[in-house]
Amino acid sequence: MKKLVEIKDVSKIYNPGENEVRALNHVSLTIGEGEFVAIIGQSGSGKSTLMNMLGCLDTPTSGKYFLHGQDVSHMSDDEQSDIRNREIGFIFQGFNLIPSLTALENVELPLIYRGVSKKERLRLANAALNSVGLEKRKTHKPSEMSGGQQQRVAIARAIAQAPPILLADEPTGNLDTHSTKEIIRIIKRLYHEGRTVIIITHDPGIAKQAKRIITISDGMIQSDIKNPEYKDEI
Amino acid sequence: MGTFGEYIKSALSSIRNNKGRSFLTMLGIIIGISAVLTVLIIGDGMKATVNSEIDSLGAATISVSLDDTKTDKTITREQLRLIEENMSNIYGISPSVSVYGDIKGRRDIYSVSLDGGMAASENGGGVKVLHGRYYSESEVEDAKNVLVVSQTFARELFGYEEVVGKSVEITANNQIREFTIVGVREDNPIDVAFASFGDDIIIMAEGPYTSVAEAFNINIDEMITSFSIYLDSENKGEVLSQTRAVVENIMGLRGENAVKVSSGTGFDATTNQILDIITTVVALIAAISLLVGGIGVMNIMTVSVTERTREIGIRKSLGARTSSILTQFLAEAAILTFVGGVIGIIFGLTVSFIICKVIDFTFTVNPVLVAAVVAISTAIGLFFGIYPAKRAADLDPIEALRTE
Repeated sequence: MKKLVEIKDVSKIYNPGENEVRALNHVSLTIGEGEFVAIIGQSGSGKSTLMNMLGCLDTPTSGKYFLHGQDVSHMSDDEQSDIRNREIGFIFQGFNLIPSLTALENVELPLIYRGVSKKERLRLANAALNSVGLEKRKTHKPSEMSGGQQQRVAIARAIAQAPPILLADEPTGNLDTHSTKEIIRIIKRLYHEGRTVIIITHDPGIAKQAKRIITISDGMIQSDIKNPEYKDEI
Repeated sequence: MGTFGEYIKSALSSIRNNKGRSFLTMLGIIIGISAVLTVLIIGDGMKATVNSEIDSLGAATISVSLDDTKTDKTITREQLRLIEENMSNIYGISPSVSVYGDIKGRRDIYSVSLDGGMAASENGGGVKVLHGRYYSESEVEDAKNVLVVSQTFARELFGYEEVVGKSVEITANNQIREFTIVGVREDNPIDVAFASFGDDIIIMAEGPYTSVAEAFNINIDEMITSFSIYLDSENKGEVLSQTRAVVENIMGLRGENAVKVSSGTGFDATTNQILDIITTVVALIAAISLLVGGIGVMNIMTVSVTERTREIGIRKSLGARTSSILTQFLAEAAILTFVGGVIGIIFGLTVSFIICKVIDFTFTVNPVLVAAVVAISTAIGLFFGIYPAKRAADLDPIEALRTE
């Protein structure tokens, strides 16, 4: 398996000095292409910091982060933006759709920042929305949709430009049981289609859906196991 | 990247989604732009009205002068006579030979500015002779010591206005000469200005340039390099077209580009200058409201950035660069003030049209002015948008995503 994500001895320290907080403490981690990984930890465990690091939203205090073999640990804001745009599809707990835009316009956003032509953009955005079953909601605004539907728009936005990594931060945290099942089903399907999926969660029920489970606490990796309960069916 | 249009579009949609606030933001610009435009249009109207009133007096002036960097020649008495003879459709021409000295009337001794010219200079100030008459062409020819003074100065010198036939003693260049007053004319604004010249009143008097020169030892054939042409404003275009050729011929200056001809100097040019200054000052005061409007835009845009912090975080997480966010918010500010400017123009045109109708000014709209106003209002948006846009662009995506 080809290495996609390689984190080497990464630490993140907030407020350096006497009251410093070591959010990540010498963490090393490798994730290969096409893996389905859950990172599980309680709040304050450092999982959010790890997720920001993996998503190129943050840079480490020390250590290195290689994405596709490229060192992305010390990049400028704009370089990080470009990497996020090209490599990472985010799925957030709070959906993070822009309320003033329609479903289709929200899905188009990352494509706009990539400079994709209008025609191609519409084609990709429509295809992404169709693949999450939202053919009929394209012109709806987020406020006119249920939580589950909003999260499906967010997934469509994350996959529209086919980034290699899907990074889901508590993707079902704001959803009811029915919608949770639906979202997990879609995420599993995306994994089966060949994408690398990383779910960050505090919920063991969600984590056990993944093929590999990494447990983090106090900024360190406690365990990294192949999930014995993993079921391959969608 | 051809994405600039997309930023404009997202700016437009955010303006549409906040109609009430967008309008309030624009309001300052609308008021500022319409105030400036109204002032400028009324200023133009005032100028046009005053000019047409000056023209309706019938008199216009063309100034001719020799460029002393191109030629050493002076205009002789004989040449002046020839020029006047060879020009058609004019009242006449007149040089100006001035001396400064003292004048003794019945009451006191005053400073005097004695302006020597030809009979046609009667047409210069646009004022009427009230008592007696203006000096005549034959008095110029014979160099008679005659004078015309204005009402104010007649009163200063004698205590009353009807002073025709009185004699005054003028001392200048060490010569003492007696002049006879043949006419008293209305005051013009220049007289009034000189009459209140501090404690020292300067009396303005006019007489034949020949007698002024002879009386005070001035060799006129060696000092005149300019003169004015007096004419009916209806003939201005025609006279202007022939002036240079006539003067160059008589002076023997053809092809040397040494003759300067300008129209509208004198009374109407001064008036226009004054009106322009008044208009500019009032427009600058109005422009302060535009400045306040610009600050309003900055204010509300800053609030808007704070409110939309999360949106900015989302955009950044999806790969928006600093410049993309900057462009989006700058475009938003510029569009707001552009639209505000357009509404302001419509409003300003309506208001100035009504005002011009009510106070009977000519209503003219200069398209360049309108275009400039639109450009200025857009520029205001760009300028005052920089601060909020920079704030938005510099937000940290993690912090921004964390805000509710």
